[in-house]
Amino acid sequence: MSAPALTDRQQREESPTRRLAYTLLAAAVRGRRGRPGGTWGEAILAEFSETRGDWEAVRWAAGGLRAVWQERRARARHLPRHIRISRRVAAVVVVGTLAGLLVNQFALTVGYHPSGDMEPTVWVGDRYLLDKVSHRFTGVAHGDVVAVALPEGTVLKRVVGLPGDTIECRDGGVFRNGARLDEPYLPADPESARTDCRTVTVPPGDLYLLGDFRLVSLDSRHDVTYRQDAVQGRMLTRVWRQVG
Amino acid sequence: MPRTPHTSPQTLRLFEALLADPARWRYGYDLSKQTSLASGTLYPILMRLADQRLLETGWEPSDEPGRPPRHIYRLSSDGVTLARQRLAARASVAADTATARRPRPAVRARTAGGAA
Repeated sequence: MSAPALTDRQQREESPTRRLAYTLLAAAVRGRRGRPGGTWGEAILAEFSETRGDWEAVRWAAGGLRAVWQERRARARHLPRHIRISRRVAAVVVVGTLAGLLVNQFALTVGYHPSGDMEPTVWVGDRYLLDKVSHRFTGVAHGDVVAVALPEGTVLKRVVGLPGDTIECRDGGVFRNGARLDEPYLPADPESARTDCRTVTVPPGDLYLLGDFRLVSLDSRHDVTYRQDAVQGRMLTRVWRQVG
Repeated sequence: MPRTPHTSPQTLRLFEALLADPARWRYGYDLSKQTSLASGTLYPILMRLADQRLLETGWEPSDEPGRPPRHIYRLSSDGVTLARQRLAARASVAADTATARRPRPAVRARTAGGAA
């Protein structure tokens, strides 16, 4: 066991900031088990009580952390090759996994679409790539396919109306603010593409969403409310289609 | 081309401090104060010098009870030679650039005359 760099009397007289700086430095030098650390780490620790005032103590400890880090790296360079390689591999795996989890959670993820309501754009059982970031900065636009959280699960629908838009249906087609929409993404079969709806004006904070397969899709035409803040992301593309 | 080792301004500042009295053992904190180098800059330099046997290190038992021994440093004889050489090299470079920046008119006139 190594001797503490500060006597009990000194410890009691130290300010909380100085004590914290010392504790951090000691932890970096000796690790959690408190074994004596490397020569240079112990040297820096032994000089700690020379510093005067909070600011100098903090600067000493911060520089000490940097030096201890360098000392460790220098020691690691002398380890046998296979240990260095396996450590590097372990670090890459850990960092990679963490980065992957973060990306998957907040940036880009793959979703599974269990329904036929978005055919022919997305088929039953397709997986799609979902961009979870950009809609937070740019918002969603007409024609985007978005994933929205509903109490019963996540659904994938196309944005037809934004707040303030008036949506109506005539002769099986959709009109937004009086203009007929050109919808090339609809099924070729007129019966599946035919749209009937009540005329509504989209309230603030809501979205008017429709599935591309109009015949079966359950959506804004059926009084389902989609909140803008429930949008999880924008579909970028289909990534994988199960065959058979 | 790799840089000549031990020529950084920080290392030279440390050399100056250590050369002031090469036989005396010095503490890390005092060196840090004297050179105004932060511990994060000073200690890596000390480590490098010690690795290359340019610096002698030792532990000095403390006279105060309960205080741990302090790590002490001084240049080895190789270190003293190298430090003097590096400081001299810097001084000559500084002198060269100083003359290059302010060429004296008299010198230029003489060169011009010689060429004509």
